[in-house]
Amino acid sequence: MKKITISILTIALALSASAQKLDRSIRPKAGPAPEIKLGDAATFTLPNGLKVFVVSKHKLPVVTCSIQLDIKPELEGSTAGVRDMMSDLLTSGTKTRSMEQLNKEIDYIGANISASSDNLNGTSLKKHFLKTMELMSDIAINSDFKQTELDKIKKRTISGLEAGKNEPDAMLQNVSAVVNFGTQHPYGEVTTETTVSKITLADCKKYYNTYFHPNVAYMALVGDIDEAEAKELVTKFFGKWEKANVPVATYSNPAAPSSTNVAFVPREGAVQSVINVTYPIDLAPGTPDVIKARVANSILGGGSNGRLFLNLREKHGWTYGSYSSVVQDELKGHFTAYAKCRNVVSDSSVGEIIAEMKKLSSEKVPQDELQNHLNNMAGTFAMSLENPQTIAQYAINIERYHMPKDYYKNYLKNLNAVTTDDVLAMAKQYINPEHANIVVVGSKGDVDKTLTRFDADGKLDYYDNYGHIIIPGEAKAVPANITVDAVMKKYIAAIGGEKAVKGIKSIKTVSTSKINNGGHEMTLTITEEKANGKFKSTVETSGMTVQKQVFDGTKGYQEQMGQKKEMDADDIADAKNQADIVANSNYEKDGVKRTLKGMDKVGDADAYVIECVDAKGKKSTEYYDAKTGFLVKNLHVEEGQGQTFTVTEEYSNYKEVPGGNGFKKAYTVKQSAAGQDMTANIESIEINKPIPDSEFN
Amino acid sequence: MKLNAFYASLLGASLLATGARAEGNIKFTEFDLPNGLHVILHEDHATPIVAVSVMYHVGSKNEDPQRTGFAHFFEHLLFEGSENIGRGEYMKMVQANGGQLNANTSQDRTYYYEVLPSNQLELGLWMESERMLHAKIDMTGVETQRKVVKEEKKQRYDNTPYGQLLNVVYENAFTKHPYRWSPIGKEQYIDQAKLDEFMNFYKTFYVPNNAVLSIAGDLDVNQAKEWITKYFGDIPKGTGAIPRPTDVEPEQKAEKRVEFYDNVQLPAVIVAYHTPKMGTDDWYALQLLTQMLSQGKSSRFQKEIVEQQQKGLAIGAFMIPNEDPGVAFMYGITNSGVKPAELEKSMLAEVEKVKTGTISDEEYQKLMNQAENDFVTQNQRVSGIAENLATYYTYFHNADLINTELSHYTKITKEDLKRVANKYFTKENRLVVYYLPKSEQKKG
Repeated sequence: MKKITISILTIALALSASAQKLDRSIRPKAGPAPEIKLGDAATFTLPNGLKVFVVSKHKLPVVTCSIQLDIKPELEGSTAGVRDMMSDLLTSGTKTRSMEQLNKEIDYIGANISASSDNLNGTSLKKHFLKTMELMSDIAINSDFKQTELDKIKKRTISGLEAGKNEPDAMLQNVSAVVNFGTQHPYGEVTTETTVSKITLADCKKYYNTYFHPNVAYMALVGDIDEAEAKELVTKFFGKWEKANVPVATYSNPAAPSSTNVAFVPREGAVQSVINVTYPIDLAPGTPDVIKARVANSILGGGSNGRLFLNLREKHGWTYGSYSSVVQDELKGHFTAYAKCRNVVSDSSVGEIIAEMKKLSSEKVPQDELQNHLNNMAGTFAMSLENPQTIAQYAINIERYHMPKDYYKNYLKNLNAVTTDDVLAMAKQYINPEHANIVVVGSKGDVDKTLTRFDADGKLDYYDNYGHIIIPGEAKAVPANITVDAVMKKYIAAIGGEKAVKGIKSIKTVSTSKINNGGHEMTLTITEEKANGKFKSTVETSGMTVQKQVFDGTKGYQEQMGQKKEMDADDIADAKNQADIVANSNYEKDGVKRTLKGMDKVGDADAYVIECVDAKGKKSTEYYDAKTGFLVKNLHVEEGQGQTFTVTEEYSNYKEVPGGNGFKKAYTVKQSAAGQDMTANIESIEINKPIPDSEFN
Repeated sequence: MKLNAFYASLLGASLLATGARAEGNIKFTEFDLPNGLHVILHEDHATPIVAVSVMYHVGSKNEDPQRTGFAHFFEHLLFEGSENIGRGEYMKMVQANGGQLNANTSQDRTYYYEVLPSNQLELGLWMESERMLHAKIDMTGVETQRKVVKEEKKQRYDNTPYGQLLNVVYENAFTKHPYRWSPIGKEQYIDQAKLDEFMNFYKTFYVPNNAVLSIAGDLDVNQAKEWITKYFGDIPKGTGAIPRPTDVEPEQKAEKRVEFYDNVQLPAVIVAYHTPKMGTDDWYALQLLTQMLSQGKSSRFQKEIVEQQQKGLAIGAFMIPNEDPGVAFMYGITNSGVKPAELEKSMLAEVEKVKTGTISDEEYQKLMNQAENDFVTQNQRVSGIAENLATYYTYFHNADLINTELSHYTKITKEDLKRVANKYFTKENRLVVYYLPKSEQKKG
């Protein structure tokens, strides 16, 4: 009997209950805590090294098989996306089944089989599971990649990238990945149209042949199956999978930024901003901090009891939700606080996120608040056990990450032992808004300008959807009579006129600077330039030469901390540009294409914005003060250590140079990049005092 | 807490479309309280957790056309607290006791649930009874939730590529029936509404005789009944009649075509056909048809349009589980460089093939196997079981469909599939929407 309707009993109960008035203000007490039993996984290993874990649950006639590879593949580099292509190819046909045949057989039994670059999963009803295992083994062992399929996948991928170009969360994810991890780490690699176009079939085959082997694989079999059955099936279908030596790559070790850095991603037509406050952290699975750090995070931004939610949504109504996460990872974890909010409250939301982060890392959390979160996490743990897949995953984690054998059995005990002191210590260690990337995807023009106060140097870096640095175009119109030519002529006039500029035969500049990063190091920079295209620059700290560049007009070298490197063709071209001390008076012939982009403010002053593209295609943006004519700012993009960053130079304090016949130079130059800035002040300038050629050898 | 509106995603909606289970039985107990509250209990001791849920039979189709968005707004308001639960305490209390909760609103019903450690069942029942008896409805709560709902609208619809896709279809496919507006509604109506309108909505729809209390998990049936009677027994039955829409959508006589511009990069094509209501034989047949078109890589749309012709980037077809007659929904996002008209032509060609071509025994059997798989796997969690039981009861007054619904699919024949394709997938009965990038609008 499936249905039992007991209406008489119910009515009787209802009557008896209503006879005595219920005091509804009494909140029901919890019953005795239920025992949480953590089932065991049966485990065995095939001769080829495949480790198998079996968890039986017979309520529904369904079985799931999942294979996970424990691999550290080499970086994708210029072919970013090759892993995704490979995973699409995996299910696109085998040596014995065409793609059409394979798809047909999977669909016929109503199974789901999916693959990624390091796992393969299949689920079906028990009665079709034999077939499911046969198909999965064919995919894992006999995949056959074809050019025609790769071409189709590439085409679809490029369309997919196109469709996602304006998708705010995808944009946020890309840029966060790049600023957190950099391009020399697998988590910082971003797939673009360019990288996709470079992927070859050979790249995909190589990945598959190198990494798909049983000796680096874990398999979980879960559901309506028992150990003996599992053993038979796995041996039959995966026993012939061949083991091999699988190489292990090493990666860079990304660190949190030295100060707070705002990365802005302009998004067309945005009515909301999406925000990440994020940075990489070291938190490996199974280490003692994991549980405690997750408790701290839960208090900050775990669900609707988290402080971020209570503040940004419940108190202010700025957002539909705001959350944070502390992600443990064997290679590199990360912290992220997230919100989506309307344009006008974007800066307020960032401000409150930072304030909550600071509060947690400076004030002890009240005991009852902590207790609520511990209860919640205990409940979540219990709920996760409903899915038998969890038990299998726990068994695999212990093995894969070399965690204590009783890690999950002791999870609740360790969770309940977390104290308010632990939380404070964890917050100090892992929740740090002073060293964070603030990534905001939103409307350029209104939102970005409100965010400068959060950036350590007050200058935002702008990125496109793929995490490439961009120099944003400016919108304000230029008066009709102003041309590039007019701006440049005015500039030359401002610095003393063509005659004075051309009269310079040599110039030696000595400037001092201090890095504004809590450091007290003074550096001394000496530049010497000669009109015949010779150039030398020396940087000294505490009397030691730390950096030197020397160029004699045709060749040269760079020296850094004693390491000498001859200039290559690119360096020579750059050096030639730098050495041309009268370059600006020759602007029509220097091979740089200049375009007047509009007007913008530099400080309070209006400036003309000129985009420059040099002969090699390198872009920079120059700002010329509309009133005085001086060059006041320059933006250009540089690369280094796997990151790209915008370098901003601001020129001020223009003064006449002694002996220069009216020639003026900016005596103060402030340079900022990647959250650091440095101001250089010119101490002395000598003009037309002969410098021997031997100085440039 | 993510208080979801109806359409979590296109995929979500397509998953909602199939129901129930085949092998093995989901055993349950059900009864009515004297105040009309229908109660369903399913006992499963495998994990010490319990799902407590209440489904109110009210959705956006019960709204006044001048007050759209009301049902969904209510879903938010009912987290504000009650006479015995302080403002903002509702969510806190569940989470602080190790539970999770959420709610969502469709055109037809509003659903609230908590999943709790099983020793907190009584707490869950008390909380849901507080919500049903005397929820806190005041201007403070209304003001807070007005802001939150506007953010939700921006996030889910305005700021999401293709976020307006279903809304555009319903607004254009329906002229008379209240499905013509979407659950998120129009912002200004919520701003205009007075407190007494909210109170009236509550007294009309949030009554025990318009609700199903469905509980699944680690529970003792007798103990659960005692608590249910204790907390829900004294909630008064609603006194007025519960308004249900009587408007019938007139038969569509000619094809409708619409162009809609949004912040997207690639054009999308949507083809929607009017269908009978969920639970009818033809609805089940149409469900199998949409499965034939787009479920799995061997499906016709996938194989022909995505793989062979490479005209579509993503493509799908599904039935939306509407209580009143709704639509069969097909959509495709064009591959880069493909014009929407080309994609439309390919999609319609596949629809024509169903009407005139043959369906092999193998393809038919595949549909049956897929239906069976979907039917079984949707009851893997106690929270899913609680919701499915509540859904079947609310729409069909037959919770046992959780065990028997598959038979509605297995009785559909190949001939039925062709018959319904010819009957409903006609030019006169369809709406075609071109969902285009805003940049194309400027070109005029």
